[in-house]
Amino acid sequence: MIDVHSLTHLMLQVITWFGLLVIGYYLVINAYYLSIHVLALLELRDDVQESRWDPPFREFASPFYPGIGIVVPAYNEAATIVESLQSMLSLNYPEAEIVVVNDGSTDDTLDRLVEHFELEEVDAEIPVDVPTEQIHGVYRSRTYEELLVVDKDNGGKSDALNAGIWLTDMPLFCAVDSDTIIDRDALLQLVRPFLEQPRTAVASGGVIRVANECTVEDGIVQSVALPKTGLPGLQVMEYLRAFYSGRLGLNRIKGLILISGAFGLFQTEAVREIGGYRHDTITEDLDIVVRLHRHLIDEGREYTVDFVPEPVAWTEVPTSRSALGRQRRRWYRGMVETVVSNRGMLFNPEYGRVGTVVFPFFVAAEMFGPLIEGIGYVILPLAWYFGILDPAFFLVFFLLTTGFGVFLSWFGIFSEVLSFNRYDSPWQILRLLWYGVLENFGYRQWKTVVAWQGLVEYLRGVDSWGAMERTGFKTTDD
Amino acid sequence: MLLQGVSALGYTVPLAVVLAVLALLVGIGLAVMFWLTLAVSVSRSVRDTRRERVQSDLRDQLLDRMFDPDAEWDEWVEGLSRRERSVVESLLDEYLREVDGRQAERLRDLGTALEIPERAARRLGSRNEFDRLTALTWLTLLQAPETVQETDFTPQTSRERASVARLQYENGTLDDPREGLSLLLENAETEFTVFGQDTLYRIATDDPGALFDIAAANFREWSRPLLIQVLLVCRHLGTSVTTEELSWLTVTLEHDSEAVRAAAAEALGNVGWRSDIRDEGFLTRVVADPSPQVRGAVYEMLADWGDETAIAALTDSLAFETDTRARLTGANALVRHRSTLDSAVARGFADTWAWSSEHAKYDRLARTGSRVSD
Repeated sequence: MIDVHSLTHLMLQVITWFGLLVIGYYLVINAYYLSIHVLALLELRDDVQESRWDPPFREFASPFYPGIGIVVPAYNEAATIVESLQSMLSLNYPEAEIVVVNDGSTDDTLDRLVEHFELEEVDAEIPVDVPTEQIHGVYRSRTYEELLVVDKDNGGKSDALNAGIWLTDMPLFCAVDSDTIIDRDALLQLVRPFLEQPRTAVASGGVIRVANECTVEDGIVQSVALPKTGLPGLQVMEYLRAFYSGRLGLNRIKGLILISGAFGLFQTEAVREIGGYRHDTITEDLDIVVRLHRHLIDEGREYTVDFVPEPVAWTEVPTSRSALGRQRRRWYRGMVETVVSNRGMLFNPEYGRVGTVVFPFFVAAEMFGPLIEGIGYVILPLAWYFGILDPAFFLVFFLLTTGFGVFLSWFGIFSEVLSFNRYDSPWQILRLLWYGVLENFGYRQWKTVVAWQGLVEYLRGVDSWGAMERTGFKTTDD
Repeated sequence: MLLQGVSALGYTVPLAVVLAVLALLVGIGLAVMFWLTLAVSVSRSVRDTRRERVQSDLRDQLLDRMFDPDAEWDEWVEGLSRRERSVVESLLDEYLREVDGRQAERLRDLGTALEIPERAARRLGSRNEFDRLTALTWLTLLQAPETVQETDFTPQTSRERASVARLQYENGTLDDPREGLSLLLENAETEFTVFGQDTLYRIATDDPGALFDIAAANFREWSRPLLIQVLLVCRHLGTSVTTEELSWLTVTLEHDSEAVRAAAAEALGNVGWRSDIRDEGFLTRVVADPSPQVRGAVYEMLADWGDETAIAALTDSLAFETDTRARLTGANALVRHRSTLDSAVARGFADTWAWSSEHAKYDRLARTGSRVSD
């Protein structure tokens, strides 16, 4: 029989050491995040200065803008596809081709496209091998020279993107979700790294912002407003911290490993070289950038992956907890998949800063962070129940997670206000600051549960996408 | 979970002290961040609101005076507050980029009334590069190159050299295009922005031979991105290159980098009339490049040359091309110059030719609104 006293002592030891481990972990991770956000401020200072300088020449008259193929995967988008395409057709860019890939829609997405854009099927075999599900037809418009529509069997988003990448003749392609609204001049800004570093720039990403509650007219965001309801508002906060400030900081140390799938520009040939997007991943945007890093370093090629903070694409975020939970579980599963399949890069000096610093910290913070925090939330009440909770430990844990979490969120808002200031009313900023506090009480804890669920789904081999419920953009008539 | 304190270097700091310091640090950080964020937001909002309030009226007044031969800008500017002048400056920047002719001349007088050239001259001495670039931009828009000459300003960076060259080019104060090209390219170490590249292109258009001469003398010293940018400029220069010096271009066709070789082939598309670069040996060598990307560029070059010999070389190569992407690039280039092709000639790449022809047909249809040939 094990002595009860010894058992209690052992449990006390385990919990104490776990507590110390958690505190040590948070000290390191928070120091990393703080460094990234401070670097983001420096990066932002340079970017803002550069964006305010408008050189005296007419961009549209310049012959040096490389052609861009805008690849738009569409699955059952009949309700919005025409409006989305009209918006994309009116983007300001000298040479753009729009490749819509109808990914085996079961609604009348293709019919709507054929009817509205006067499409006709191209009477010729595709002369290149396209590594996708079967393509039934390629359509051209009688009225829009820059429009190409591909009709294929359903193969998922990666498969649809690959069809577009293999069929565009443009040297660059921009992967865009069909429900994303792109600012009119966004491509002119997003292409800048490719102009300044011709042939070495392989990818650049812009900013994704939350469109819920913004007023959209003729495919343009006319007025920017902060969502009134909690869940989308909290996501605005998250997007500012992680997708804006965080990526700016990583860009400063040339360690950007994620470009949002909703709005990224890539060198077409480089992506073809690595076989395009992988079919067996559900977060193709993270996977493609990590694989590009890996491939180009393996090949010993000079390259850059950049984040440009000014071009903006707007997207609708989930408004219900169930839809958001599905999305976040999918993101988590995809992240684990990408990390596992590229684990050879971890702590590998051959991959430079990406392998030794950025990727390990990404794994520690984004993959293990919510799991460790989740365990902490279980241990704390247990320790309290058994009467072994040290108030000092609780306070340190609270300060390092919640206190510092709020600080980082506010840092993200500060960066936004100081730079492009899209939320121009101080009341909106005050509300954002409030969301920065609010997300730490309930939302943050809920996300740790979602991460654990995502991990379980990954281990069980779940590979579904889950449906996104969209309410549509707000217009001036609403 | 009993923690007594933190021990290091033989000292033990009580946990209460550690906690107090940690709480203090986080608390100070939060307070500073909160008030700083709010203060900046309120300040920007107040400034923007005040500017918006006067902008519409000022725009109307500016447009009225822009079409008035007796604009009397000095009198108008004197009556404006500091904020109103700042708004007018923003409007001036906007309209100077859009209008030409007499209206532009009047707007430039407004710039003088706002004392922008004087301020630009002072900003040229700033330590911040973007201040200096903004000053040069104003001087270009206001066509006031003499302001730079009156100061001892010397451009330091690639962007500044491009801005000064642009200022001189736009105002016709370049004695010789070669002067502008030298300013841009001699001792250049880094690649250009698109503005710099466009400036290089505009100046080189006046004297392509000068660019070729400078490139011939310097191309080995240039970084790979800069060399590619210059080759891209050469590609767009048209066929008026009369210089004898083309050997540097053919040398770059042997470069280690396939990107450079491809850019060189594209640049050679302009000078196909030169017999010295068209001997059979040269053609045999370039169409056999190991890189499909370079072969694709060579096919574009042959299509640009467009004469019977070049087209025959192109169709012969396409028939034996093993890379589908290079074959497609070649067929797309060919179809831009030939709407039909004998089926015997197209044998070996008939599918690719059919695909390219179909797309060319729809391009024409969308452009002209009528079917040219089915």
